[in-house]
Amino acid sequence: MTKFRLIAPFAVLTLVLAACGPGDGGADASAPDDGGADASAPAADVPAGDGSIVVTSLWGGTEETAFVAVLDAFTASSGIEATYEPNRTDYATVLRTRIQGGNPPDVAIIPGIGTLRSLARDGSLISISELGINQADIEGNYAPGILDVGVVDGELYGIMVKLNSKATIFYSPERFDEMGVAPATTWDELLALTEDIKAAGSTPWALGAGDSWTLTDWFEIVYLKMHGTEAYDTLFSPEGDWTDPTVQAAIDTMLEILTEENVDGGIDGSLATLFVDAIAKVFSTSPSAELYYGGGFVGGIATGQDVNPALQGQEGTAIDWFPFPTIDGSGEGLVTYGGDVMAALVADSDVAEFMAYLTTAEAGQVWAEGGTIISPIVAVDTSVYPTTLIQAEAEQVTSAEAVRFDGSDLLPGTDLGAVLQAAVRGDDVTSLLEEFQAETSAAWASE
Amino acid sequence: MAVATPPAAAAPQPRKAAGGAFSWSVPLFLGPAALLLLGFLIVPTIYSLFLSFNRGRGGEFSNWVGFDNWVRLFTQDPDFLRLGFPPSGALWNNILWIVFYVSLTVFLGLLIAVMATRVRYEAAIKAIVFVPQAIAATSLAIIWRFVYSPDDETGLLNAVLGIGNVGPLSLLGNPDTVNWALIAVGIWGSVGFATVILSAAIKGISTEVLEASRVDGATETQIFWRIIVPMVSLPISVVAVTLVVGVIKLFDLIFVMTDGGPGTASRVIAFNMYQEAFPQGQFGYGATIAIVMLLLLVPIMIFNIRRFRATAVQQ
Repeated sequence: MTKFRLIAPFAVLTLVLAACGPGDGGADASAPDDGGADASAPAADVPAGDGSIVVTSLWGGTEETAFVAVLDAFTASSGIEATYEPNRTDYATVLRTRIQGGNPPDVAIIPGIGTLRSLARDGSLISISELGINQADIEGNYAPGILDVGVVDGELYGIMVKLNSKATIFYSPERFDEMGVAPATTWDELLALTEDIKAAGSTPWALGAGDSWTLTDWFEIVYLKMHGTEAYDTLFSPEGDWTDPTVQAAIDTMLEILTEENVDGGIDGSLATLFVDAIAKVFSTSPSAELYYGGGFVGGIATGQDVNPALQGQEGTAIDWFPFPTIDGSGEGLVTYGGDVMAALVADSDVAEFMAYLTTAEAGQVWAEGGTIISPIVAVDTSVYPTTLIQAEAEQVTSAEAVRFDGSDLLPGTDLGAVLQAAVRGDDVTSLLEEFQAETSAAWASE
Repeated sequence: MAVATPPAAAAPQPRKAAGGAFSWSVPLFLGPAALLLLGFLIVPTIYSLFLSFNRGRGGEFSNWVGFDNWVRLFTQDPDFLRLGFPPSGALWNNILWIVFYVSLTVFLGLLIAVMATRVRYEAAIKAIVFVPQAIAATSLAIIWRFVYSPDDETGLLNAVLGIGNVGPLSLLGNPDTVNWALIAVGIWGSVGFATVILSAAIKGISTEVLEASRVDGATETQIFWRIIVPMVSLPISVVAVTLVVGVIKLFDLIFVMTDGGPGTASRVIAFNMYQEAFPQGQFGYGATIAIVMLLLLVPIMIFNIRRFRATAVQQ
């Protein structure tokens, strides 16, 4: 009987918790402290803000400086104070914890579209229309399709604020001249270039496979070039089939270049190398490789304090890029790009004004002048970009036949990079791709 | 390695005042502790249990999904458990840790404790061996990440191998070796703990027994395996249980050294729980893993309590 007496209160407690457990939806999880606009009605009148906003992102260094310039310009034109709070590590974790704790930032960069979808469906994001901004009005500011990346379940939540081409291969023109080689325009030429560099006594490629997203970038550009936009769109959607032979074909093509002899440090070494160190292998003061495939941001990093600031001003001579080649004659004009979307987490007039400001050419121009990003806003003139590398990158994106957003950022959180790391190591990926397919379709379904 | 405190002794039985009447001193003394236990242990456990049957959007009870999370965890999540030959996944990695890390730490700890008793500078040895325990787990991870660095100008291991002209090894970049490299770091960090406790236990063995066995002609090996080990079996099980509990909770070493990588090769279940709940925002799924961790601890606790009860009876 004594045992029952001890258990009884816990049993009661359990019943009580069960009763008050299942609530309906987390729609109020992000109810802002200052006023409370009815989050479900697309009202144009949002409550007044308190004159200051907080914006968070994971940028630091030069990227931070460039963005803070945009915030300062916003403050100058609107009078609303804007503070930038960086979270360099564990960004998604910190963001979610703040949201759960009822203390979300006003505006945040969302790292990855899977996270955007997840947060939007959690009810943590304020849609652009709730802030009183009409998508149709701002659609014209952007190249077609750019804004659609931030749409979740028919509502626009994330506005693309910056992007980088991911179809650029970086090299040093000086050293190319010394070796007597030239950039490639087709895949076969690229393979030949690799061999020529080896013959000239150097190691062709640097690879930062420790950051597995570098491998996903390789996969995406190769897949897009080989199989085109429709296949690409299908693959990175709930209908995607990762066991399709086109996937294996793209991986095999990648591995024609990423071999033990072609990569500095060998495969094992590259798997333990992070992307900035890999960039340094090509552009530091004592380089050990000649080619680095990455996004347009590589130029800023290579000439920045992390790698080799002496290269600043040497764009075109000591550092340049050539477009990712076509593969078997297909893929001309197709470009993958990576970008960040910004979303609002609090509904008030200050936030609405800031989000509207980000869609203007002025904001795009100030940000572009910082030299770290390409603005998706069409009206920004390419001449404002500080270096020829970035100007060329902007022109590549705007004049591309079709641009496709970084696929792995669209996936619902499953890790394509891990599969590619195994592939690069020489493991048989057939069974890994089957597992990945099962995992990914389960993840799409449970989003 | 974070050291779990050994399980607390059983709570004292509530006492009645003289004459059997109810005394207010009982709830007054037990109350604060009970409230803390309730608030920080019982309620969160029940919350996690219910959350594991839920989608858990934003940590709230958003949609009831029944056993979906559980089914998905054990059948559709190769990061957690992939049956096959050889098996892999976070759960398998924890099993590797439990088998190799615990047994090697206990064995090495015992060995060092026994051998240290033979020498004059025993205290110095124990102090040196114990130093890694004083290092925070994160610092430990960063130190060893540098040691394992594949660049032989940064990595101590590869610098030493380079002397013998063995090519630079990337132990942390290779999924076949990463778990063993991490277990080695874990052992390095925890041997001191085992040594100190087992050394105290060995000192408790009466010297007459050891002298008598030597007189009877037993070799040192026989003495070690047949006399010392059985006589310190309770402290060994205490150390082992503490280490096993530490393995189930293991997170910081993996997170800092490899972030679960390369790919997902070195993940452990606590890492999966963190990854699913926080960056991915699937709180219900993360809660499921948390409950699995709790369930894994239950047999260990039962074993431990039985052990203590058995020795209590003996005394």
